[in-house]
Amino acid sequence: MIRFDNIKVVFDDVTAISELDLDVSEGEFFTLLGPSGCGKTTALRTLSGLVSPTSGDIYIDGRAVTTLPSDKRGVGMVFQNYALFPSMSVRENIAFGLKVRRTSADERRTLVTDIARRVDLSDDQLDKNVADLSGGQQQRVAIARALVLKPKILLLDEPLSNLDAKLRQQLRVELKDLQVQSGITTVYVTHDQDEALTMSDRIAVFNRGRVEQIGTPQEIYEKSATEFVCTFIGDSTKLGPELVSRLTDHSPSRLDPSRLSYLRVEKVLLEDRAGAPTGAQQRDPAGSTVSLEGRIVARSYHGQHSRYTVRSHDSDVKVLVKEIGASTLDIGHPVHLRVDPAHVLQYQATA
Amino acid sequence: MRTRSASRMLRSPLVVVTLIILTWFSAAFLLWPNLNLLAETFFPGGEFTGRAVERLLSSDRAMRSLANSFLLAVVLSITVNVVGIFVVLVTQYFRIRGSRILWLGYATTFLFGGIVLAAGYKFIYGSDGIVTELIAPYFPGLDRDWFSGFFAVLFVMTLASTTNHLLFLGNAIRDVDFQTIEAARNMGASDWTILRRVVLPVLKPTLFAVTILSFLVGLGALSAPQVLGGEDFQTITPIILTFANSSSSRDIAALLALVLGAATIIMLAIMSRLERGGTYHTVARVAAPLQKQRISNPVVNVVVHVVAYVLFVIYISPLVLIFLYSFMDSASISAGVLSPDRFTLENYTRVLSQGSVLRPFIVSIVYSGLSAIITVGGLLFVTRIIQKYRTGLTTTFEYLLHIPWILPAAMIALGLVMTYDEPSPLLGGAVLSGTTVILLVAFVVVKIPFTLRMLKAAFSSVNESMEEAATIMGAGALYTFRRILLPAVLPTAAAIAALNFNSQLDDYDTAVFLAHPLYQPLGLQIKANTEGGADVNAVANTFVYTVLLMIVMGLTMYLVYGRGSRRGRKKRRSAVTAPTEPAPDAPVVPTNAGEAHPALGATSEVNPPPPVASGSTRQ
Amino acid sequence: MSIALATSAAFLFTACGGSSDGAGANDEAGEPLIVYTNSDSEGRGEWLQAEAEAEGFDIEIVGAGGADATNKLIAERNNPIADVVFGLNNVYYEQLKSEDVLEPYTPAWSGEVDETLADPDDDKAYWPLVQQAIVLTYNEDAVSEAPEDWPDLWTDDRYSDRYERASSMAGATTQLVMAGILSRYQDENGDLGVSDEGWQQIEQYFQNGVPAEKDVDLFARFAEGDVDLGQMPSSSIPGREEAYDVTAGVVSPEVGVPYAVEQVAVVRGSDNQDTAKEFIDWFGSGDVQGRWAAEFDALPVNEVALEQAPPEVIEFNEQFTRQDIDYGFVQENLDSWVEKIELEYMP
Repeated sequence: MIRFDNIKVVFDDVTAISELDLDVSEGEFFTLLGPSGCGKTTALRTLSGLVSPTSGDIYIDGRAVTTLPSDKRGVGMVFQNYALFPSMSVRENIAFGLKVRRTSADERRTLVTDIARRVDLSDDQLDKNVADLSGGQQQRVAIARALVLKPKILLLDEPLSNLDAKLRQQLRVELKDLQVQSGITTVYVTHDQDEALTMSDRIAVFNRGRVEQIGTPQEIYEKSATEFVCTFIGDSTKLGPELVSRLTDHSPSRLDPSRLSYLRVEKVLLEDRAGAPTGAQQRDPAGSTVSLEGRIVARSYHGQHSRYTVRSHDSDVKVLVKEIGASTLDIGHPVHLRVDPAHVLQYQATA
Repeated sequence: MRTRSASRMLRSPLVVVTLIILTWFSAAFLLWPNLNLLAETFFPGGEFTGRAVERLLSSDRAMRSLANSFLLAVVLSITVNVVGIFVVLVTQYFRIRGSRILWLGYATTFLFGGIVLAAGYKFIYGSDGIVTELIAPYFPGLDRDWFSGFFAVLFVMTLASTTNHLLFLGNAIRDVDFQTIEAARNMGASDWTILRRVVLPVLKPTLFAVTILSFLVGLGALSAPQVLGGEDFQTITPIILTFANSSSSRDIAALLALVLGAATIIMLAIMSRLERGGTYHTVARVAAPLQKQRISNPVVNVVVHVVAYVLFVIYISPLVLIFLYSFMDSASISAGVLSPDRFTLENYTRVLSQGSVLRPFIVSIVYSGLSAIITVGGLLFVTRIIQKYRTGLTTTFEYLLHIPWILPAAMIALGLVMTYDEPSPLLGGAVLSGTTVILLVAFVVVKIPFTLRMLKAAFSSVNESMEEAATIMGAGALYTFRRILLPAVLPTAAAIAALNFNSQLDDYDTAVFLAHPLYQPLGLQIKANTEGGADVNAVANTFVYTVLLMIVMGLTMYLVYGRGSRRGRKKRRSAVTAPTEPAPDAPVVPTNAGEAHPALGATSEVNPPPPVASGSTRQ
Repeated sequence: MSIALATSAAFLFTACGGSSDGAGANDEAGEPLIVYTNSDSEGRGEWLQAEAEAEGFDIEIVGAGGADATNKLIAERNNPIADVVFGLNNVYYEQLKSEDVLEPYTPAWSGEVDETLADPDDDKAYWPLVQQAIVLTYNEDAVSEAPEDWPDLWTDDRYSDRYERASSMAGATTQLVMAGILSRYQDENGDLGVSDEGWQQIEQYFQNGVPAEKDVDLFARFAEGDVDLGQMPSSSIPGREEAYDVTAGVVSPEVGVPYAVEQVAVVRGSDNQDTAKEFIDWFGSGDVQGRWAAEFDALPVNEVALEQAPPEVIEFNEQFTRQDIDYGFVQENLDSWVEKIELEYMP
């Protein structure tokens, strides 16, 4: 449906995207994820036609649209700050594109009412000034304004980043529902990994103008392809070579101490020296785990869970433990860490 | 994304038309008159001559007036800073009883400046002034001309120029992070140390700017030295005026204007140099709002209060006296009598009912109004293009449009007169001298830099995505401009227009060179009324003019501020939901003299517009 | 923006009530006749306005000093605002003519005036209205022994700081006084045709006098005791003596006094040429000049009008001899003299 073919974007002297190849399928919820300045918004804006690529082509439905003006590409876009027109009412905002397209007044009214219902905007909200709406409502107006033109593709540029945490959670669900119902191909830009993991069919992780990995949320998380993806997503500990060697000693495994090794916090089992697991952790039934000695050096309580830092060999291993209200371990307490070497992610050290 | 190629820019017919008009306008009114002035001075008839220089160097009077101008500029920079800083501290920094009232008093010079202020002081303190009449019997040895010369000029101009301090320094001091003051106090610093070591250094760039501005105002002073300077204290600009009127001596006027222009450019260069050196950006992510400081030493506290109120009285007394005396009959005015039983509305009736008396007022309103509309209206398009397309061409235009800022009004006026007193191909063979249009052209030209800067800031503060959103939805460039951008910048544009209108209402400096003899604006009439007393009603008329002027100006100011605050509230709310946008408060700065030089551009924009190339820095 | 300018210009004209010629070259009827003059003070302007209106002329008077009016006319030469200019002396008119500002015209009353006082060219562009001597006058009560000539003012200590000297060079009277002094020292080798001695006189004149105050009458200062001597056009003296209750004496130097012959002319290229000529025919006529003379104690050139002029005015003027001034020389150098005086001698 959408194809980025060797896209390169250079602003003045700054390379925003160095080389981008992407395919997005029809009906897919595709997320461009990455930190600020990684090129994800530029990629989205290139797709929308707001930015012209320095080289390369963009295809929509197999047709090259690289030189097509943005309103001819069949894309609808929701901006980070919504870009609502303060000089117009909610209704006028939504109807703006229809008016430009010279849709009849009657049809306009019907379409606006329909779309407003779909995004949960009430009739009296329609006649308000956009400035009088709350952030969440403004968000709905922005989405309605994009969808009312029945685009083939919906582009969302960090649409939830200006909302408070609770509303963000709620709209995440609504947005996903809306996408599933309408089946519209959606390209979503975010720097929030939670959003990306929960909403996406597939994710492209951007770093410094390049795509580091493309895959389903699970692939991205479990099988992070690069060190960057591994550290950007989730929470992990970088393991020292000595500790990696210990893991290798105890079990014949594929681990190579000379490579960079990471271990996600929730993959470690914490036991006190007596061998009793802490919290709600389950002993790995496969029994392929290695036990490491260590001592607690830091602890923080988070309600649902606690985080421990355990000094073991040459590494400070972070461990996440689900709290069940049992006794907690104090700093200095000697413990065992139980690690499955198969969970260790390894990457080639870069120069 | 703003970086667009020139070819893309030239694809839009609207842009092309605007650029053609802009090219013509810049060439005809910004470049050629000033270059021609240079040419006429040094190359009359195509050959270099040093005649003007020789004549000037051999003239004691001209040299003395040059020296006087520089003296005034230097001393004025000091006095304005002393009074200005005091006034700002008293109204914004220290806890002073009745500081709001004090502020209003000090701010009267917003509405009451230039020729009106000079005339006002002359009517009150001059040799036939009301106060002089009142005190003369008690001081038999009093020189009736006590309020004239250097002292009087300096006095009046000091008061008039502190408006810049109130505005710019006042703004800057409000932005001082209060926590730095608390921290200093916590570490045991005294009031004086805090002021000197913590507060004033932060204000340094603004202080530089207003100092340079005061210097330039002093250098180019026209109305105050003309009205109050007398023969003992002549300055450059009035002499330029003398010679500009004689066609055979214009080269000398031009040369003097060039001296002024060169001095201005040098001062501005020095300032931008200094500015680069020491700007302190607040390091705090969230600056705490300034709270007023109590002066802990009781003696100092009393002294400061007394001085503040004495200044207050000095500021408002001419205004109050003019207001009161505008209701007295002419005889009472000349005798300095103020009593309720002499109350009359006759002055107002005369001014408002006699066409010939009201006429200057109407002429001024028409000129200022047209100038405001044309400047803001035309620059709306130009600014938009300059801001949207960053190319060599637009950058060049941006520089060209700033030319009027670096030249004294006298030089601009002279350039126009000398260039367009004969048919010029640039104007399709038309002659501008002796028409009503030439003053309008000058009014527009003089206001361009200020308007451009302010509009640019306004456009920059418009959420860029709105335009993109419109584009994606299929709106054309013109439609987007009309429906999206224009409504967004219109409040600011209206405010700028209002400020321009106000500042030109009592213009004297430009009009005196260019006004049509039959359509003389108010400034000239007020000046004429200060010259001796053939017509006893002249003084009364001026009082009424002054009161009317202040009503009109006060009204426009109210509209600006009323609008501004309403807008501000609304914007602030939307800013909460879209915190990634720069604070959209348009940096509208009221200036009575309209003397917002580039000097202040840097500091006046409290919230500087976001970096232009934001597209390239985004992810 | 150009359209905006054009429309705004149109707006300006209409908005200001009076419809002027301004920038437009429209030849509309009913526009007022614009009259430039330096002779509109002391009620002259109002009188003329009223008289002209009674005669059906809609005139607008723009007053300015002689030099200012001349400069203005020259500056506006390519786009004249004025239709008629009167009251300036022949030196200015000569200058205006050489700058191509004037339109030759022979008024109906040309036969009633002394042609030698008019434009010396065959194609006469300006015609005389009134003449007056520019004299040194003094307060008889304060000056026991009158000076004999101008230079006495700065050579005799008794008059030092007692005479009023010019504070602006823009006035016609002042310029004639200067011309009267400088032309005595004509010297081909001197600066601007004047010997060093001549320039020293000017320097002395400015050093020893009391500056004139703008719009404060010399006679008012006589009455106040500020000054005792000063320059004055002869026709202005009788009225002032009465108004300020001062007895004035006049100095009649051996060399004579400069005479100002006030002229009238049509401005070339203005919109109301025909009306302008009609106005001049009316204004210069024996009847109007006679009434003008009677009203303002002027000495008319028009012989018919002379009969109506107050006898004492005629008698008063008869005491002076005409200074023999080479007006060609003066006209040629006057601008430069004024500039030099402004730059070097005025304080």
